[in-house]
Amino acid sequence: MNDAFRRGAREGFFHYLPLSIGLIPWALVTGVAMRGAGFSVFEAMGMNIIVFAGTAQLGTLPLIVIGAPMWMILATALALNLRFVIFSAAIAPAFEGVSRWRRIISGYLLTDGVFASCSPRMLASTDKDWRLGFYLAPSVWCWALWQILTLIGVLGASVLPTNWSLDFMASIALMVLLVPIVSSRPMLVAALAAGATAVLLHDLPLKLGLIAAIFVGIGAGFLAERWATENMNADTAS
Amino acid sequence: MSDSLMHSGWWLWLAFVLAGLATHIPRGSFIVAGSRAKLPAGLQRALRYAPAAALAALVMPDVLLVGGETQLTNPKLLAAIAVFIVATRWQNAWLPFIVGMGVLWSAKYLIT
Repeated sequence: MNDAFRRGAREGFFHYLPLSIGLIPWALVTGVAMRGAGFSVFEAMGMNIIVFAGTAQLGTLPLIVIGAPMWMILATALALNLRFVIFSAAIAPAFEGVSRWRRIISGYLLTDGVFASCSPRMLASTDKDWRLGFYLAPSVWCWALWQILTLIGVLGASVLPTNWSLDFMASIALMVLLVPIVSSRPMLVAALAAGATAVLLHDLPLKLGLIAAIFVGIGAGFLAERWATENMNADTAS
Repeated sequence: MSDSLMHSGWWLWLAFVLAGLATHIPRGSFIVAGSRAKLPAGLQRALRYAPAAALAALVMPDVLLVGGETQLTNPKLLAAIAVFIVATRWQNAWLPFIVGMGVLWSAKYLIT
């Protein structure tokens, strides 16, 4: 742990801290749902540590409850997590020069929130220790907060209010992440195309509409970027 | 384990491990493989759009759809517009949560 790592850790932690509010409703809901599925506190926290993914946990619970075949549980979890392959590929250059077991831990800790909020600055930095700190501090914080809040959900399943629409805080957190990203025209195009596709395809099972929407958004952003640069080249040529 | 579960003990933990593998293999894929699995430069540039696309794809259905239908006088949409205005104007990261939930609760109270 050198200076650059510590500086990165401090900056990453405070960068991500406000956004971690978005975890509160998610973790509570996940805890309540696992209790609702009939898990003991030990089983619920076991799943929470082994899987550590709200979407995959909530998505596979109904299958586990009915005793669905293993391949179906595996396939559903894979479909819900396909987006992480894209995230993993996008953030991978920031782990250049990092030891293997640290990369394995970093992979386990990868979440939507930390990826979206931390990857742009990580990819822009040339210091590998700073980058690792900037990633690990918010990720470990996210992990600890997730475990504690889920435990509160598990233990308080019967007394938590359900009519406060607290789940909307998760959407607010996603919007707070989205606003600074869409400052360029191609990014805005990517977001609008993905959002519209997700709305149109919301009926598809297994969140396949979400995955299709991500691909459409990436394609649209890429095309918008090429179109913009071609236009610029045409302008300078004339 | 309660009686509502058809299987016992090891079955449940096997399900957790499989769901865990299905989570951590995608997450770790490129981070662990590192430079041995370099993506083509074009694909890497395209992937810069992944966060914006994923975030919008997660948020827009939640904000625009009520029971599977688009509805323009929906409290969540009003709250989302307020969140966007606040987040673009001010750097404060807590404010969108306060304003967003405030608008959501007021709109629900006024509309229903």
